[in-house]
Amino acid sequence: MNELEQKIRSEAERLLKENLVDVVIAFRKEDAPLRPQPAFFTSIDDLENLVYNSLCANNLANYLTRYPRETRIGMLVRGCENRSVNALVVEKQHARENLYLLGVPCTGIIDWRKVIAVTGEDILEFEESDSTLTLRARHQSYTLPRAELLHSSCQRCVHPNPLSADILLGEALPEGDPKLIRERVETFEALTRSERVAYFKQEAERCIRCYACREACPMCYCEECFVDHNTPRWTESGTTPAGTHAWHIIRAFHQTGRCTSCGACERACPMDIQMTYLTDKLGKDMWDIYQFAAGMDDKTQPPFASFTMDDKKHFQAGGTQ
Amino acid sequence: MKYILPKNDLNALLTAWSAEYAVIAPQKTGAYAEFLPFTPQSELRLQEPHNTRYPVKALFFPQSEAILKYNRNVGQLENLEPEPQKRVIFGIRPCDAKAVTLLDTVFAEGDNQDPFWLARRAETLLIGLGCHEPCATCFCTSAESGPFHRDGLDALLTDLGEVYLVAALSERAELLFSGLTPADAAQQESALLLQAAAEKSLPKVFELDGLKEKLDRVFDKEIWAELAQSCLGCGICTFLCPTCFCFDLVDEAQRDTRVRNWDTCMYRVYSLEASAHNPRPTRKERTRQRLMHKYSYWWEHVGKLGCTGCGRCVRYCPVGLDIRAMIRKAGAYESEVLHAN
Amino acid sequence: MPTNFSAPNPYQPIPMRVLRAYYESNDRTLKTLELSFENQVDRVAFFKKFNPGQFCQLSLFGKGESPLGVASAAWEGDFVRFTIQRMGSVTKALHGLKPGDPLGMRGPLGNGFPLADWKGKNLVIIGGGCAFSTLYALTKHVQHPQNRPEFGQLTVIYGARSSGLCMYKHDIQSWYQRDDMEIHQAIDVPEESWDHHVGYVPDVVKQIAPSPDNAVAIVCGPPIMTKFTLPALVSLGFPPEAIFTSLEKRMKCGLGKCGRCNIGSKYICKDGPVFSLAELNALPADI
Repeated sequence: MNELEQKIRSEAERLLKENLVDVVIAFRKEDAPLRPQPAFFTSIDDLENLVYNSLCANNLANYLTRYPRETRIGMLVRGCENRSVNALVVEKQHARENLYLLGVPCTGIIDWRKVIAVTGEDILEFEESDSTLTLRARHQSYTLPRAELLHSSCQRCVHPNPLSADILLGEALPEGDPKLIRERVETFEALTRSERVAYFKQEAERCIRCYACREACPMCYCEECFVDHNTPRWTESGTTPAGTHAWHIIRAFHQTGRCTSCGACERACPMDIQMTYLTDKLGKDMWDIYQFAAGMDDKTQPPFASFTMDDKKHFQAGGTQ
Repeated sequence: MKYILPKNDLNALLTAWSAEYAVIAPQKTGAYAEFLPFTPQSELRLQEPHNTRYPVKALFFPQSEAILKYNRNVGQLENLEPEPQKRVIFGIRPCDAKAVTLLDTVFAEGDNQDPFWLARRAETLLIGLGCHEPCATCFCTSAESGPFHRDGLDALLTDLGEVYLVAALSERAELLFSGLTPADAAQQESALLLQAAAEKSLPKVFELDGLKEKLDRVFDKEIWAELAQSCLGCGICTFLCPTCFCFDLVDEAQRDTRVRNWDTCMYRVYSLEASAHNPRPTRKERTRQRLMHKYSYWWEHVGKLGCTGCGRCVRYCPVGLDIRAMIRKAGAYESEVLHAN
Repeated sequence: MPTNFSAPNPYQPIPMRVLRAYYESNDRTLKTLELSFENQVDRVAFFKKFNPGQFCQLSLFGKGESPLGVASAAWEGDFVRFTIQRMGSVTKALHGLKPGDPLGMRGPLGNGFPLADWKGKNLVIIGGGCAFSTLYALTKHVQHPQNRPEFGQLTVIYGARSSGLCMYKHDIQSWYQRDDMEIHQAIDVPEESWDHHVGYVPDVVKQIAPSPDNAVAIVCGPPIMTKFTLPALVSLGFPPEAIFTSLEKRMKCGLGKCGRCNIGSKYICKDGPVFSLAELNALPADI
C-alpha cells in the first residue's frame, strides 16, 4: 500500500468519522486483475478496501449526478476529475458546498490494454514506481517504462493538478504542455478531406452502440439521451453506418464546451475507438474562438450555455464578427 | 478420428476448404482479434492471450438485421431470410461454441423458430480450438463448460506446439480433415495431459450446486443494490456476452425496414413503458435481472446455466465489475449476512 | 444442433384492413378498431387458435408494433376487435386509421384464459378502465348460447373513472336486461343520471361480495386497481389458484424470444399474459 493511498484513507476516515460527508467516492481493490473499481464508502470499516494507484481508470465525477444535490459527497479527484466536477457544478448538477474534494495530483492512468498488448499475456500482479511498472505474468516478469503505457489522454494531459480541491494530498506536479492536444488535432486537420472522412468512418463503424462512452462520461447525464427518443427519432438504432456516424457526431457536439479531455470514454470503449479526436477538436475550437476551456472554475458558464450582448454574430446572415 | 495438423499447413488447409466453404477465422483488427472471412493472404491470430472481443453469436445473430422490408408501392412485404451458406467457423473457443448451442434453445427449438438463425446454422461447421492456457478472466470450468469442452463443436483442436491434434466430432468434420495424418498414441496422450492441465489451471470461482435457489431466496434483498453501485448501465457485458440474446424490433421508416437489433436489459429504456412506469427503475433491478437471468431463469427454461464462463464481461466492464465475485457474494448473502445476524 | 433448417418468419405480420373505427370514450383517448382479414387462410388459422385473453401485435410499418388485447369473441364475425388507448407513437398512429386502411397483425399470442379449467364454475369478471377489453371478449364468448351452458353464474363488475370513459356502452346497457348474468358498473365519483355503483372497484367488489364457492375471479385493470382488488378477493375467501389476472409489460417480439417481458423465468407474452395469483406468488416481484 503506497503512501498516497494511506493519506487518502486517513482523510476519508476523518470525513466519515466527523460526519462531514454522507459518502466518500474513491476506488476499491480489484476483483478482476488490473481493474480497481469505483467505490462508495459509507462506513469506516469498509475503508480497508480503499486503494489508489495508476490503474484507477474511471472518472469518478461521473457518479456525482446519481446523488441528490443535498447529499454531502467526499470525492477523490485528480486533475481532469476536478474539472469535470467544476463543469457539473456550473450546470447545477450538484451544490459545491456539499462537495468535499480530496485532491490528488495525477501522474496518469495506465492503459491496461497497452500493457496486455506489450506483454501478450495476462498480468497477475502489478507494482509501480515513479517511472516503471513491474508486472508478474504467468510466464515471466516484465519491467516497463510507465510513460509509454499511460492512456493516450494522460500522455497529453495539461492539468494534472486538481484546481479546486478542498485538500491536496500529494505534491503538486508541473503542468503539461498544451501543445500536445493541439498538435494532435492539427495533425488530423492537416489530412485531406477524404483522409479525414475515411478515418472517421473507420473509427465509427466498429462501434457496437453499447454507449459505454456515454455512461462513463461525467457530462453525459441526460435522463433520456437523444438516441432513445422516438418522437422524433434522431438516429437509427442499429449498427448501420448512418446511425453510428450520427451517434458519434452528435455526442461530440453535445460535449462542446463541456468535455475536459479526461479520456474516460476511450478507456470504456470495448472496440478501442479513439473518439477524443472529435471532442479535442471541438475543445480546441472553443479555446480559439471563445478562449474557453471546460471546468477551469465552477462559476464560468460555457459559451454555448450563455448569452451576452457582445456575443459574436459572424454566423448570422449579414452579421459581423 | 484424431489427426495431426502441422501449424505450417493450416493456411493451405483452410484455402482448400475455401473451394466449398466460406471460411471464417480469427484475424487481427487493430489491437485485437475478430472473426473475419479467411483469404489465402490472411494472417490468423490463434494465439491471442484471450478470446475475440466481439462474440461469435454475431455470425448467427447479427447485431443489426433487417427482418422485414415493406415495399410501400405494392404494399407487400419482402422476404429477407438469408439463404443457408456453407461456412466453416475455424478457431472458435469451446465457451463460444457451447453458447451457440444455448442460443439454439431460444431460436431453434419449440414454437416460432427463427428462420434467420436457422438459415445461418444450417450449413455452418464449428471447428474449435481448445484453450491450453486459459486467461485470468476465464471461468468456464465453473460454468458447466471447460477449455476443451465439446458441446456444439464439429471438431476440436489441441495445440501441441508445432502441430494441432484434431479430434473430428462429426461426419462433416471427418470429411474436412480426412486427408491428414492420423495422430499416434503418444500425441493423443500429450493432448490429454495438456487438456487436463488446462482444466486444472482454472480455479473454481463459485459453487453451482444450490446456487439458483440461493439467488431466488435473496431476490428482494439489498445485496443487489450493493453489487450494482458502480455499474454504469452501458451495454458492454450484454453485447459482448455470447449467450445474451435480448433484442429490439424497430421500424426504420426512412428505409421501409423493420430491424432487429441487439438490446440490453442494462438500459433504463429496456423495460420503460409508455405510461412512464418502469418495472426496473434503478440499476439495482437491472443488474439483478441480468444476473438472475443467467444464473437462475436459464435453469428454469432449459435446465442449463445461461453463462459459459468466457469472461468477456469481466475483462471489458469499464468499472471492473467481476461477475464471478458478484455471483459469489449474492450466493453467499443468505448464509454469510442474513443468517449470521 | 437444430435438425430442421427452415421455418416461417414469426416476425411477419398478416395483412389486415380496418373495417370499422369508432371512439369509445368521450375524451377520445380510447378508440376501437375492428379489423378484417385480407386472406381467408389467415382468418381460418387465427380463429382456430384464438382464445379470449390472448393479444395480438398490431403492426404499422414505419411506426412499429403495439401489443393489444383482443376484445371480441370468435362467434361475433369475421373480424377482430381491439380497443386502443392513445399513449405513444404507435397507438397515436393506430388512432389515425380509418376504415379501409391497411395494417399488419401478428397473433393470436399468449395463453389466454384457461377456459377448459373453468368449465362448470361461476365466473366473477372484474375489470377497470381500458383493461376491460379482454374481459369483454371473455364475456362475449361466455354469453353465446353454445358456450353459456359450460359455465355457472356470470358476474361482471366494470369500473371506469367516469361514465364517458366506459367502453362498449351500448352493448353493456343490454346486459342489464339479460337473465343469464349480473352486471355491475361503477364510476369513481357521482354523476347525474348514473344509476349504478359509485366507488373504486376494490370497494365495489367488497360490497357485492361475490361468493368464492366453485368460482373463479378474473381481474384486469390498472396496476393500482389490481393491487387492491386481489387482496379484496382473498379476504372474500377466493384461493390464489382461483384468482386470475392479465399482466402487461413492454413487449417487442410477443413470442418469448426477445427476452424483454419476463417476470422471473416467465415471459408475459408466452407463458401469460394470464396468470393465477398462485403462479404470481411464485414469481419474483419484477413488475
